[in-house]
Amino acid sequence: VTPQLGGVPGFRDLLPLEAEILREAQESLLAEMRRWGYRHVITPLVENMDVLDLGLGIEQRRRLFKFTDGRGDVVALVGERTVPVARLVAGKLRAAALPLRLCYAGPVLSTDEGRFQQRRETYQVGAELVGASGPVADAEVIALAARCMEATGIRRYQIDVGHAEFFHGIMDAVKLPDEVKSAVRAALAARDFVALESLLEGTPLKSAEHELLLRFPALRGGPEILAAAGGLVRNRRSEAALSELAQVRDLLVAHGIGDVVNLDLGAIRDFDYYTGVIFEGYGPDFGRPVAQGGRYDSLLSRFGRPAPATGFMVQLDLVSEMLTRSARPPALPRIDAAVAWTGSGLDTALRLGSTLRLFGMRAVVDTESRGVAEAKAWWHAVGAANLIHCRSKAVVSWSTQGQRTRSLPPEQVAARLAGGLS
Amino acid sequence: MTRDDQVSIAIPTGALLNGALSLLAASGLARLTAEELGRQLLLERGEVRVILVRPSDVPAYVDHGAADLGIVGKDILWETPGSHYELVDLRFGDCRLVLAVPDSSTVDGPDTWPPLMRVATKYPRTSSAWFEARGQAVEVVRLHGSVELAPQVGLVDGIVDLTATGRTLRENKLRITAVLGSSTARLIANQASLKTRSSAVQSVLSRLREASGRAG
Repeated sequence: VTPQLGGVPGFRDLLPLEAEILREAQESLLAEMRRWGYRHVITPLVENMDVLDLGLGIEQRRRLFKFTDGRGDVVALVGERTVPVARLVAGKLRAAALPLRLCYAGPVLSTDEGRFQQRRETYQVGAELVGASGPVADAEVIALAARCMEATGIRRYQIDVGHAEFFHGIMDAVKLPDEVKSAVRAALAARDFVALESLLEGTPLKSAEHELLLRFPALRGGPEILAAAGGLVRNRRSEAALSELAQVRDLLVAHGIGDVVNLDLGAIRDFDYYTGVIFEGYGPDFGRPVAQGGRYDSLLSRFGRPAPATGFMVQLDLVSEMLTRSARPPALPRIDAAVAWTGSGLDTALRLGSTLRLFGMRAVVDTESRGVAEAKAWWHAVGAANLIHCRSKAVVSWSTQGQRTRSLPPEQVAARLAGGLS
Repeated sequence: MTRDDQVSIAIPTGALLNGALSLLAASGLARLTAEELGRQLLLERGEVRVILVRPSDVPAYVDHGAADLGIVGKDILWETPGSHYELVDLRFGDCRLVLAVPDSSTVDGPDTWPPLMRVATKYPRTSSAWFEARGQAVEVVRLHGSVELAPQVGLVDGIVDLTATGRTLRENKLRITAVLGSSTARLIANQASLKTRSSAVQSVLSRLREASGRAG
């Protein structure tokens, strides 16, 4: 039997270049979050099912990898990381004063192979602001998301900001029988506006809200859209949402990101989960959002510590894919020195390797003795910028592309490399 | 004109192609013939790029953002739900998804269905969901072509297939016993295109919407 060298379907290996890009992006995201005072927490890959049940919808629960541990508890591999953070805030961090600013990074898993690239394991980096309500907190998290996208090196991105309450207000106000309302919700969740139109056509009672639902995908633009929508809604919930959005938008201008922000009143998201301002971040020429987030004020109370909360997560895989496809894709950093040796040169080679690393350079010391010609071949295979061949204690020969090989004492080679000289 | 303000539209080969081309012409966006598009597969005309793909591939092009908009039969969308927006019923390409059985079969209404119904289809997802909703156990055999043949050789009790006129079914001595759904051409849009390239996409969208309203 040949082993499955490709791994389990839906799970990917990241080869050195991809792994490097992903790790770099993750570090830039976490670094930006820390600059805003968010503390990094690491929660386990496994959670008890009864914890996840509190925070996830039926569909999300269905897609979890579940199994029982030795005690007979049903546990699952996490499919997102906001619920574990909520568990932490209500549990071990119960004594910590609110508001709490926390961030995380890690893989999330799903039994479904996603529509895109059939991935069942993806990587998310996220931030949560727990215990703060109102537009200032909403704007902080949105501005942080924008700066995070910038920090990874994505150019030309935009953030669409909407409000879950705008939708809830409309659904309260439309005069429809309950079963039609739930069909309307289902059609919207499926983004099926043809079905929505035929559902609404069949009802005799027309209202302004009715009209708004049909125009959902087009309710998008700058601040002028708020006034336009304000003229159409006749219910308090939607009106309150509009005025909150106006405040958030002003704050985002003050944050310095007014030019990348659009208002999207027709944003369609998980409306059972989100309770207030919601947003999505888009990169250039990419068919789906890279960052998603919003206010979820009802989650923490299910864990016994009622608190308002808002946050977002960035799809790290998408970020690294965007960077890979950008005009100047990141390259794998070069190995600075290949240190070869022969005869009594091994000690010198090992010492030289340590010295170079001490100066922050990448140095690989050969594992076997090689003559001059073999050492050159090995140098090219390693792909290093320099070859240092050690044959004795006193003198080593140093080769670099486009220059003749020189014989120098090892300390001098180290000093010159460290000083960026050739 | 750069890639940024050009809007790309995926249109399907096959039965919906002529309707899609008439719509593009009526909206004033592009006048193309099936022949030139068949040769090129990708044509640029002013503000639009038209991409010709297999019907079942349209959602993939749109969901991945390779096309901003797509014209596709509702029957395809039943099988491949995705992240796109379904925006307009274009009101052409009418057809029905039906359950058909051999003329000689005793199967007719739900009370005559066998305890385990076996059907052959190119629409496994839609078929399973439809029978399940009616409390009927079903074994779906997924075929890729010549579905009409399957009941004649005893592979299955019936077929679930798309029909516009019913002629192919009659020719194969099959009769319709139930209609699972009606399909027409739909206009779908990528979720991000509607946001990141909003004004260009919305403008093309409204011209297509208006043209389809005039035709219907």
